[in-house]
Amino acid sequence: MNKNNSVFESRAQGNLNKRHRVSKIWRSSFFLSTTIGIFSLVILLFSIINQAFGYVIVENKVDPASLSSMPLQSLEREELISILQENVSKNRFKTIQRDNPVEELKRSELVGLVTSEIIKPTTLKSYFLIPSLTNKAEIIRTQQDEFPNAVVQFRSWISPSFLTDPLSTNPDTTGIRTALLGSLWIIVVTVLIAFPIGIGAAIYLEEYSSNNWLSRIIKTNIDNLAGIPSIVYGLLGLAIFVRGLNLITSGVFIGIDQSNGRTILSAALTMSLLILPLIIINAQEAIRAVPSSLRQASYGLGATRLQTIWHHVLPAAMPGILTGTILAVSRAIGETAPLILVGASSFINKDPSGLFSNFTVLPIQIYNWTTRPQAEFRNVAAASILVLLIVLLTLNTAAILLRNHFSKNKAA
Amino acid sequence: MPRDTLDRQINNIKDEVLILGNMIEQATLLSVDTLKNRNIRAAHELIEDDQLINDKRFAIENAVLILIATQQPIAHDLRILTAILEVSTELERMGDYAKGICKITIKMGESDIPIPIRDLVKMAELAVTMLHKGLSAFVNENLHLAQSIPLEDDNVDALYHKVYRHVVEVITANPATFDEAHLLLWVAHNLERLADRVTNICERTVFIATGEMMEMDSTDDEDQED
Amino acid sequence: MTENKNQPIIIVKDLSIFYKTFRAVKNVDLEIFENKITAIIGPSGCGKSTVLRSFNRMNDFIPGASIQGNILFHDKNIYDEDVDPVQVRRMIGMVFQKPNPFPKSIYENIAWGAKMNGFSGNMDDLVEKTLQDAALWDEVKDELNKNALSLSGGQQQRLCIARALAVKPEIILMDEPCSALDPIATLKIEDLMRELSHNYSIIIVTHNMQQAARASDMTAFFTMDEDRAGVMVEYGLTTQIFTNPKNKQTEDYITGRFG
Repeated sequence: MNKNNSVFESRAQGNLNKRHRVSKIWRSSFFLSTTIGIFSLVILLFSIINQAFGYVIVENKVDPASLSSMPLQSLEREELISILQENVSKNRFKTIQRDNPVEELKRSELVGLVTSEIIKPTTLKSYFLIPSLTNKAEIIRTQQDEFPNAVVQFRSWISPSFLTDPLSTNPDTTGIRTALLGSLWIIVVTVLIAFPIGIGAAIYLEEYSSNNWLSRIIKTNIDNLAGIPSIVYGLLGLAIFVRGLNLITSGVFIGIDQSNGRTILSAALTMSLLILPLIIINAQEAIRAVPSSLRQASYGLGATRLQTIWHHVLPAAMPGILTGTILAVSRAIGETAPLILVGASSFINKDPSGLFSNFTVLPIQIYNWTTRPQAEFRNVAAASILVLLIVLLTLNTAAILLRNHFSKNKAA
Repeated sequence: MPRDTLDRQINNIKDEVLILGNMIEQATLLSVDTLKNRNIRAAHELIEDDQLINDKRFAIENAVLILIATQQPIAHDLRILTAILEVSTELERMGDYAKGICKITIKMGESDIPIPIRDLVKMAELAVTMLHKGLSAFVNENLHLAQSIPLEDDNVDALYHKVYRHVVEVITANPATFDEAHLLLWVAHNLERLADRVTNICERTVFIATGEMMEMDSTDDEDQED
Repeated sequence: MTENKNQPIIIVKDLSIFYKTFRAVKNVDLEIFENKITAIIGPSGCGKSTVLRSFNRMNDFIPGASIQGNILFHDKNIYDEDVDPVQVRRMIGMVFQKPNPFPKSIYENIAWGAKMNGFSGNMDDLVEKTLQDAALWDEVKDELNKNALSLSGGQQQRLCIARALAVKPEIILMDEPCSALDPIATLKIEDLMRELSHNYSIIIVTHNMQQAARASDMTAFFTMDEDRAGVMVEYGLTTQIFTNPKNKQTEDYITGRFG
């Protein structure tokens, strides 16, 4: 036994200890980097969650109990309409009737109307999550001292109604439906435009073009385009799509009566240009990664180039292409500056109904709210950030699932 | 160098062939010597030594088989090895001829030898010289030498005819000497056949070098059967 | 080649293959005989695969590749202007060094090539026949929908052969088809080649001398000359080349004393 040990020791010692030590040090640094990264993410997430939940001190202008003995949600539409008519000034009712005739409103929307027009709950003070959990006694004391007519409620600012209510100027009642739909509309149209163009370009560049100086210049420039600040795309979009192609993007050419080009179509075209280089580069990589043995097998059977690309190369590259597309989409969802330039409305509460509607998007809405003075808007902004993060997470999960699904088919 | 192993092994086997050839040369000369000196005891010993010749031949064959199986030789290398198999068989047969001569020595016993023994001795010397040169040509793949040796067979054949005439004279003159004379003719026959087998070895040498099998007849027209 | 009663199916006349200005193969004259297995052997880099790939115009995919001379298939130069390389590749099929089945089912692998070339008959029968011809039917007949990549290396290579057979070629080119396979799989493929040669002509490039000796009828030996161009040194019956080659370079190569 001892003899064996000494064989290993005498030969291998020397710099072995040093090498192990250096190894350990590097391993610790890598671990430290990971820790810092995770730690930062946790802090970020934590501060957002902190702002999205908490106690609020709420006061109703009119007590709902005085309107009806039963909870509002359980009343019939006729009853709600009559409550509305009784408690709202005639002029105001006329205004409401003109914008949104009460006969056409659903029951939940009538409840919302009653709440916002009559009951008018007002948040007097809001607290973040940590103070809520730790200082509950003090909050109650404050309420009793300063706001005797109010109640203390635990509110989660992110809620189903938050997602489905339209935008409003009141932080208590506002929802993000308008902005959410705007974001989704833009993303869908962007993908519909950018995906085929991007894939087509990538196929041409990888499969058809010969490696001469012209194609090398094109490839270099596409790489450069990917790095251009997104606000430059905004300027481009404004000049070309909003103003230059006004007739098309505003919908006038098909008879829509609208005077400006600040539509979803312009925004989607602009965003397509923004993510197009990313999609092209990513698709090129994915196509390049398809082993040439697959192409050779196809050609060897007497297939044309198109048949080879369509039946073999593209399907094999598809997981990579899809993953890259979804990542590009994730980036596009978070873009703010170019959309501001292209004309996202700063306040709009009508849902986008088509390509030629005016619009707003989540990031812009978040920005708007954080600039407002009222403290409650900070909570609302945090809630919207959570929504945005959830959308991104969903997209990334979809990317991973798609990739796994396709990889299963290819596994050897 | 590629195929060092194969080259080395082939050379080893060629050395063994030379050793076997040497054993045959010794056996041939000694067997005629026992007849000349009427050394019955030595004749018995030589007969026993034939076993060593057989063993050597099988050792050579075995080595060749192993080499073919493990080294997959082809073309020239393969021709050398198959030729060695043939040659070792020829040498073993030559050993049997020497053994035959020893047996005749024993059979002759004390009887008189009615013909000059020096012709037989001369035949043996010529045949052994041919064998020596033939094996040298074989291991060195000396085409020129191999093609010239069969011509020397003529000398051996001439001596054989001389012995034959002597034997006929002796038997005609004195029929009682038939048995002894006949045995001596047989000795000459063995030596003549031994020289013929050297010709076979030379044909193999040509085959190794050119890949072609050629019959190289000496000028006698005796049939080549054993 | 007076012993051969077979007709030449490919006649190569003074073939030189260039990569841009570099001559990779120089002045090859060769006749490939019908229903025979022809082996192309030689040291690395002497243009064997290049020559093989020129027979089905796969070199067209290499930028800068060009040829001089003629490759006549049915008396027509396959590099003529009016010849469609896609058609050439259907009639002259190829099996590659590393088995490369499509990442689809076994059935689809075979059906795709046939469908794409306009096959309109009973696909099930075609799949069964080609798999039988490729000596693979018994092993996979119950699992035609299994992914081709789950087969073993030898099975995958036989599938590639079946796939090539499905488009009904006349000639099958094989570029070191067994170099990625174990010895048993290799021998199975050699037996398969012997069977196939009754109906097809086979040209195989191989590094394995014993394989060329075992499996082929004719052998062509290539080597590199001083300009690093591949040249054909000797071409003849396999039995002749491996027992008594006419050229010393051939002898040195096959006995392993150079290359």
